[in-house]
Amino acid sequence: MSPKPKRELARQHLETARVDLDGERYGDALNAMFHAAEAAVVWLADHHGIETRRLHWVKAEAAERLHAEGATDDDHGDLLRDLNQGRKDYWYDGEELDPDELRAHLVAVEALVVDAERA
Amino acid sequence: MTSRTGNPALDAWESDAAWLARLERDARRADANQTPTQRRITAALVARANDVGAEAFALTGSTARSARTAISDLDFHVIGPRPSRTGLADEIDIVATDAARFRERLRAGDDYVQWTLRFGCVLFDRTGIFRDGLKILSTERLWPDTSRKHARLPSHRRHAERLIDLGDRDAAQEQVRAALTAAARAILLDADVFPLSRTELPGQLHAIGRARLAFALRATIDDVLSLPDLEAQIEALDDTERATIEVARSLPSRA
Repeated sequence: MSPKPKRELARQHLETARVDLDGERYGDALNAMFHAAEAAVVWLADHHGIETRRLHWVKAEAAERLHAEGATDDDHGDLLRDLNQGRKDYWYDGEELDPDELRAHLVAVEALVVDAERA
Repeated sequence: MTSRTGNPALDAWESDAAWLARLERDARRADANQTPTQRRITAALVARANDVGAEAFALTGSTARSARTAISDLDFHVIGPRPSRTGLADEIDIVATDAARFRERLRAGDDYVQWTLRFGCVLFDRTGIFRDGLKILSTERLWPDTSRKHARLPSHRRHAERLIDLGDRDAAQEQVRAALTAAARAILLDADVFPLSRTELPGQLHAIGRARLAFALRATIDDVLSLPDLEAQIEALDDTERATIEVARSLPSRA
């Protein structure tokens, strides 16, 4: 069985995040947004010959490079870092999540997914 | 010497000389366990933490234990504001808490806080919060409470299964590994064994007869697993659930 394309996974994670956010399952929404953003960056990076490996920070750096090379309208490096830190703070340290901040993240992640779908 | 535990790292709070000796040992250990690049990152973060007024700073995780793998983070525990990671290229994970929350988490049985005190490399302790934490840990004979970990396992599992169902192998492997790691830590603590760093957990699990969980965790650390393999490995959590019931029936007193 061939793996599902990252572009497709990015969209699926995004829609999952939207449903979770509407259902006030904020931790789940944060996870799904993070996976959507990473899948979109990996798809774009593969198309531009940029290494992403298995490490989150490499993907965040790839997001910066993608912007520098004109593949994305915005630099999504900090978005990936914030989502990664946010899920750790929530799941391991029990920090509260701000729904408004999550909604803002969802908008940014959707822009990244749309960039991936255009590639 | 009036050592309370016999462990020099844990008893280091007892005198200024013992504390200085621990700080010196920790600094040497941190230096020896890091690559030149990691040392530069750590030095930059120490400087930034000082600049933002942090009270204390420790290198933690697999680097402190000299047990890194290809996917290890570079972990830090800061008491005070989180220093910026801007421009530092590595998988950096900084847990930042204020002093009140640190003490609250220590007394509430948080294992991560205890991990820092037991195994972390303390790189500065400006206000003495880590030394005080060690005193509390030692004199109050604290042991982590695993009830929160057990309570969270179903969520970890549900998240992993959702990713497997969706077909995102990369994300699923990370989440299965996280779920198994959380389970391993809970099981070990319930068996009165303090969990070390992630890559050391399978060995600790074997030592207490938890081979299935040990093999499953080892596979998610070392191998790139297919979705059906991940589905099979997550079932090792079934043993954890059974163990939870046993533990609940025989909760030991750690007075």
